[in-house]
Amino acid sequence: MTESDADSVVEPGAEPVPASSDRATERNIAVSLVVSTLAALGLAMVYIGGGQAQAEGALLMVALGGLGVAVILWARLLVPGPEITDERGETGSPAEDAEAVEQNIEETLDDAPGEMGRRSVLRLFWVALGSLGLAALFPIRSLGPSPGRTLLTTAWKEGLRLIDQEGRLVRVDTLVVGGTLTVFPEGAEKAADAQAVLVRVAPGLIRPRPGREDWAPEGNIAYSKVCTHVGCPVGLYQEDSHELVCPCHQSTFDVLDGARPRFGPATRALPQLALDVDRDGFLVARGDFDQPVGPGFWNLG
Amino acid sequence: MTAWRARLAVLLPLVGAGLLAVSAGAVQPAQAQLPPPGAAQAQVEAGRQLYLVACTSCHGARGEGGERGPTLVGAGAASAHYYLSTGRMPLNQTGVQPQRKPPIYSEGEIEELTAYVASLGPGPSQPHIDVSQGDLAEGYELFSNNCASCHSSAGIGGALGHAIYAPGLKPASTSQIAEAVRVGPGAMPVFGPETIDDHQLESIVRYVVYLKNPDDRGGYGLGHLGPLPEGFVAWVVGLMAMLGVARWIGTRD
Repeated sequence: MTESDADSVVEPGAEPVPASSDRATERNIAVSLVVSTLAALGLAMVYIGGGQAQAEGALLMVALGGLGVAVILWARLLVPGPEITDERGETGSPAEDAEAVEQNIEETLDDAPGEMGRRSVLRLFWVALGSLGLAALFPIRSLGPSPGRTLLTTAWKEGLRLIDQEGRLVRVDTLVVGGTLTVFPEGAEKAADAQAVLVRVAPGLIRPRPGREDWAPEGNIAYSKVCTHVGCPVGLYQEDSHELVCPCHQSTFDVLDGARPRFGPATRALPQLALDVDRDGFLVARGDFDQPVGPGFWNLG
Repeated sequence: MTAWRARLAVLLPLVGAGLLAVSAGAVQPAQAQLPPPGAAQAQVEAGRQLYLVACTSCHGARGEGGERGPTLVGAGAASAHYYLSTGRMPLNQTGVQPQRKPPIYSEGEIEELTAYVASLGPGPSQPHIDVSQGDLAEGYELFSNNCASCHSSAGIGGALGHAIYAPGLKPASTSQIAEAVRVGPGAMPVFGPETIDDHQLESIVRYVVYLKNPDDRGGYGLGHLGPLPEGFVAWVVGLMAMLGVARWIGTRD
């Protein structure tokens, strides 16, 4: 506030707040603070005693609310009114000062001893800064290792047996027709990108792509469980229409038709895992998936 | 070749084929229900009478199925009991997913119809479930891995493709839950005993029963729908309350 009294405005007829109201307000403030204290102590005791979520929430509300009520009552009722308005005076320098400064800057930039002049030096300044920015791009590029070939392959290899989430081996007749199971490669149970969904359909229903006629022994057909849209696990198997549905964005893949997407945002079919049956009747993989798994990336090709 | 070797060369395949035929006939699938013995024949016959009244128009005179309904040969007691006790059969409307409704048959009639359908051909029998033998923690793991993707982690159901939904599990009885797992009705996959054995099934049933009244630590469960209603409550109730308080703070006398 400036000291120019001519600009101060005091509301006419303003009076100081009467004393009795002060006492009542002070008492209310004291009460709310005491209640807040008790609630905080109660909160501590409930917590120590084992905790109960709803009681703790209520006590916390009272403890914080009591503080808030006390502060607000103080600010609204105890702090003396009335409001005083002080007009802001004119800002900005006087005109002749502004012109003098402007001229000074111009002279500094143009009229200087030496051949180059301040403006060209300023340009050189920008050039130097820009070069530093360009140079910084190279260390930024070095952040983190390149994925290399890890995006293109998974842990599946020829001869690896299929296991389920409990680590049990999967036989060719483990699933009944219409059943589904999530499988992993034996020895690489933690490899999240290797997760596959095994589905058993009636063998005559499959319409295999050329060259894949023997990829599904006795109707056991395995696809990658990582959705080719954004990578959610495609776990919803609709048995009557033989479709795998992804829960995130509802991409729907036709199990009988090489898991081609029938609906939803996915555009690539789920990669298929070629299966075989080993001597003991267990299902084994014949190699990796036929395509890189998961969402597409820029050098997928 | 000597004479006896020549005779052996003819006899051996015949004997082998004969043995094969006998053994193939003797082996039954583990879950198959054989036609009941004569003492329960009355129940089958009573079921057949009920069947002839209400079921032949879609399922055929002998359960062979037709244009309007699938075959019941091989459906088994589990399937029949599931569909009849949940009231999904008889259908009240074709062309849409069968819906749970109060069954029109009494329990005795359901048993008779179940016996009749089971007699049509070998199929999954009704599972015997002792819920108290189930392990709740194991049931949680199995449910989350196998069931939650369609039925939601709280078992309240969810939408699937093609105007089909996975129903909420709250109204299901223990026998219906077990039967549904073994039968795989409609769009549901079939979980045979090789993927979920009988003890695991008991655990799953026990967990689903728990889900009917889960321990809602946060107070009101909001229908167990998840982040959507929770966000609604936080924004509408919480934020409105805060707006009200902010307004009160800023009010001038």
